[in-house]
Amino acid sequence: MDKFTVTINGHTIEAKPGQSVLQTALDNGIHIPHYCFHPGLPVAGNCRMCLVEIEGVPKLQIACGTTVRDGMVVWSNNDRVRQAVRHVLEFLLINHPVDCPVCDQAGECGLQDYYMLVGRYDSRFAENKVVKHKKATPIGRWVMLDQERCILCSRCVRFTREITKTNEMAIFNRGDHAEIDVFPGGELRNRYSANIVDICPVGALTCRDFRFRCRVWYLKQAPSICPGCARGCNIAIHFNPERPHHAGGRRVLRFKPRPNPHVNAFWLCDDGRYSYPFIDDHRLRFAALREEGGVRQLYLKDALDRLADWLRASRSGRTAYLLSADSSNEELFAARKLLRDALGVRCLLPDTGLRTGDADDFLICEDKHPNTRGARILFGLGENDPVAPDRLEAGLGAELPELLLVNRADLPSPLRDKLLAAGTRLVFLGTNDNATAAAAHLVVPLVVFAEQAGTFTNFEGRVQKFELAVPPLGDAAPEWSVHQGLAERLGIDLAFPGPAAIFRQLTAEVDAFRGLSHESLTPHGAMIRHE
Amino acid sequence: MSERILSKRFDLADSHTIGVYEATGGYATARRVLQELTPAQVTDEVKKSNLRGRGGAGFPTGLKWSFIPKDTDRPVYLCVNADESEPGTFKDRHIMEKDPHLLLEGIIISAFAIGCHQAYIYIRGEYIPQIRRLRAAIQEAYGRGCLGRRVFGSGFDLEVAVYTGAGAYICGEETALLESLEGKKGYPRLKPPFPAVVGLYGCPTIINNVETLANVPAILEKGGDWYAAVGAHRSGGTRLFGVSGHVIRPGVYERPMGYSLKQLIFEDAGGILDGRALKAVIPGGSSVPVLRADEIDIALDFESVATAGSMLGSAGVIVMHDGTCMVRALQRLIHFYKDESCGQCSPCREGTGWLLKIINRIIRGDGRPEDVAVMRDVAEGILGNTICPLGDAAAMPVISFVTKFRDEFEHYIRHKRSAVPAPVK
Amino acid sequence: MELSDQLKQTLDALKEQFPNGLSVLMPALHAVQAAHNHIPAELEQPLAAYLAIPAEIVHEVSTFYFMFNNRPVGRHHIYICGNLSCWLRGAETLRDHLADRLGIQPGETTADGRITLSVVECLGMCDHAPVMLLDGEFHPDLTVETVDRILAGLS
Ligand SMILES: Cc1cc2nc3c(=O)[nH]c(=O)nc-3n(C[C@H](O)[C@H](O)[C@H](O)COP(=O)(O)O)c2cc1C
Ligand code: SF4
Ligand code: SF4
Ligand code: FES
Ligand code: FES
Repeated sequence: MDKFTVTINGHTIEAKPGQSVLQTALDNGIHIPHYCFHPGLPVAGNCRMCLVEIEGVPKLQIACGTTVRDGMVVWSNNDRVRQAVRHVLEFLLINHPVDCPVCDQAGECGLQDYYMLVGRYDSRFAENKVVKHKKATPIGRWVMLDQERCILCSRCVRFTREITKTNEMAIFNRGDHAEIDVFPGGELRNRYSANIVDICPVGALTCRDFRFRCRVWYLKQAPSICPGCARGCNIAIHFNPERPHHAGGRRVLRFKPRPNPHVNAFWLCDDGRYSYPFIDDHRLRFAALREEGGVRQLYLKDALDRLADWLRASRSGRTAYLLSADSSNEELFAARKLLRDALGVRCLLPDTGLRTGDADDFLICEDKHPNTRGARILFGLGENDPVAPDRLEAGLGAELPELLLVNRADLPSPLRDKLLAAGTRLVFLGTNDNATAAAAHLVVPLVVFAEQAGTFTNFEGRVQKFELAVPPLGDAAPEWSVHQGLAERLGIDLAFPGPAAIFRQLTAEVDAFRGLSHESLTPHGAMIRHE
Repeated sequence: MSERILSKRFDLADSHTIGVYEATGGYATARRVLQELTPAQVTDEVKKSNLRGRGGAGFPTGLKWSFIPKDTDRPVYLCVNADESEPGTFKDRHIMEKDPHLLLEGIIISAFAIGCHQAYIYIRGEYIPQIRRLRAAIQEAYGRGCLGRRVFGSGFDLEVAVYTGAGAYICGEETALLESLEGKKGYPRLKPPFPAVVGLYGCPTIINNVETLANVPAILEKGGDWYAAVGAHRSGGTRLFGVSGHVIRPGVYERPMGYSLKQLIFEDAGGILDGRALKAVIPGGSSVPVLRADEIDIALDFESVATAGSMLGSAGVIVMHDGTCMVRALQRLIHFYKDESCGQCSPCREGTGWLLKIINRIIRGDGRPEDVAVMRDVAEGILGNTICPLGDAAAMPVISFVTKFRDEFEHYIRHKRSAVPAPVK
Repeated sequence: MELSDQLKQTLDALKEQFPNGLSVLMPALHAVQAAHNHIPAELEQPLAAYLAIPAEIVHEVSTFYFMFNNRPVGRHHIYICGNLSCWLRGAETLRDHLADRLGIQPGETTADGRITLSVVECLGMCDHAPVMLLDGEFHPDLTVETVDRILAGLS
């Protein structure tokens, strides 16, 4: 087929047959105002903000509901269109409170955006506004509804009908008394509920967790991957570098989905979305050593000295390592190089959070770790190799180890007690406090994924990149640098300038990753080679 | 006497029964068509007749039928639009009341033409006596083998069911009608796709008005050419004109397309009530632009009414005499569209509510000088920018009223009362 | 609140006639209203369950269509037309007269629960304006006198 082109506002661009005028414009950086259109939802065509003039068609047409034709000439910026859009915006505003200073959506509101764009500041509306019933009412665990801000774009309705198929959001009554709501007495009952907050173009649906915590213009963003399960949904970490005091000391304030057509489309589950507090809460910031008479804090370098001594002292075959499927590919690769390959340490993956049985047919995976696939590949683990907690003891070998390094996991307390009683040296490498950390002889603080760059491999084998959002807390270090520090002390040649270099080395050495590069991971990740 | 195609049985006793219907030649045409013609021949005859839709838009019926995809493997549906809720429109009620079998015969022939085996009659919920009558007629027709399996002993099966609305003008819009038939709110659909391709339950569907279908038996009986010759221009046949408001004899009058509006009002309907002077006429149901008394010397066919700046629409002629306050008359219409807007798209939902608030304020005596201009501008903001034509239907009367009777609106605003002495209430 | 056996029978018969549960909804709501005077809010969930459709859709539909009453109405329900053709012929006078006689505003029900007065849009009876629909029958060409006579005839 010959080239298929359309001309929008005088720019002739190549278009995909079957696509809408609006999508074509957006893909080519031409902004056409729109509210009801969302690329992840069926077209509703109800807001009428995207009206455009199409040469040869007498009436204005909605760009979201019009399919491109070869040679089509479209205008979204001429006087006729501007006039119509101005009318539409005015209609949407007449029953809207327009009290942005007290609205949580301020700064990321579609009405505000176009208010400026279209430049209608004066209101000719001399009447009383239609009174709606619900002002700032919770309609579920995470979502707050304020009906008077709703512009009835039906995005939330379409989301609960077409995406979750749970149908909670509905528009009751007709005409200008139409109201968005849940069934009387009902509430949201799907595990993706907060997505309707993301897609609501105005402040009608807000997040109960985030409400009034922070004005959005203070937030910065970093692209990342949700650590909540093996799906690896793409997220943006929203953090407030300057004013953590505004949010009870938390730097990270929310996760928002980032679109990835191969993984999560536009969505995120509530569990993953609201897992963010672990980044700031109950963190291990400094290394700690348990000695006669108590626990003492020490510098990381001193902790590494101590750990290197212990590694040296432990007899061959008597050191074990419990790896973590929360570690990045880079961290796992460093552990493999040092512990497995150089030191011959027995490496096990504990089977915790891997087979939860909690999965659905949409995004939620039963494996609650972001990088189990990466761990399996890098440590050559088969389907049945992860070790169930009650079989860990047996897995550790015929005799209990002299030195056990535990990455993040919380050991079952009987095993922990047994190890301590048997004189095993217990070293905890981790990000957040738990009972094992509290009982360990040595604690080495690690950074969380949000404090470093790296990659995860999702359950399907898609390798995806995440970036650093916030700096490490205290002395916490990336796991790979811990391994590198140990290697130095042990006289093992393992020099990594940083995660990017590790990734390069990993792709050179590990078959499954061969051919991948940071470039090939942009923007949607890339699949491993089949093992 | 002019040709009577639709109303020829209206004056007979028990005209609604199958006995009277058959005794006066009813069902003979359908019987012959099913035995002797192919569906394509039927469609051709209807195309030739210049029959145009009587629901309001005036779309050529035969052409519409030909949009049904050939060789579709999905069921084809025929939906009969008996929602009749446009103010000033009551013609379909007369057909269903007085000659329901004429409609059924039209349905049989039309269904045959488009390859449909299931037809639904979507009738407004308020037409309770008419629903009863329609159901009785359908039962009679089943009893006589005119419906059901092997209609008239032919190889053609046809089921017909009545589906009752529940008070929503918007369900007369064809895609809202389909939504309602599927059990949902009456939200008009985006077009394309058009119902002929994706209609009821996603299947090819034809929606036709009651009166449209009631013409089909005569077209097949006497021929498309004959029918076309009855009409004027490219509009074949007769229409049931419904005349209401300030006339001496309100009612339905079957007259050929192209009939004189003046004659209809002053002769057939007996002229203006109480010996008063004519002030304004809405010629095609409440949705079309109003005509001043000096603009009514026109012929009633699609083209001529359009030339006069209005539309033939549903042929509901609403007559107003000089005791009518146009501000309050328009308030009634805006109230209607505000009540009946489905609320789906923003210009119509918000615009009709806004217009009503302005005009109510004017009537309360709180009008502001800029109100007339704002009303016009709001109406223009709705016009052409909505999902379905209800938006236009709300806007056009506003624009025509405030333009043609501007003085009255300004007078009302300035003096806080009507310009008309002792207006009708 | 539960669907009565009788209603269930009606619904079962309706289900035979339509391809899916959703299509049964409108006729079902008509049936519920005929049995219960209005659409009781507590019946929307059971009805939805019986038709295997979301309750939200039931509530959407019951609040969209004017003829479905979401609250109890009187034993007799007057729909008086207030649209243009009826208004031109005195509908407003009749509306005020009815409101006076019944001692209620349009949209209200008499205290004894006997009569509800609704002003409605065009009833398709404009050739007999002004007109009202009362308990399933049209009353054409109304005057104050005929309205009084009709009211007097109500139980
Ligand atoms: C708001 C609105 C209300 C309508 N109401 C009716 C109606 O009550 N009856 C009708 O036949 N057509 C009505 N129509 C027109 C229908 O959409 C459709 O054009 C018609 O039923 C097609 O039948 P026809 O081609 O036989 O006229 C309405 C259209 C609109 C936009
Ligand atoms: S609540 Fe938000 S998403 Fe839902 S219809 Fe209203 S404006 Fe749209
Ligand atoms: S124009 Fe009015 S009636 Fe039609 S879809 Fe829009 S809101 Fe509904
Ligand atoms: S974005 Fe196209 S109509 Fe709303
Ligand atoms: S205006 Fe009252 S019945 Fe039509």
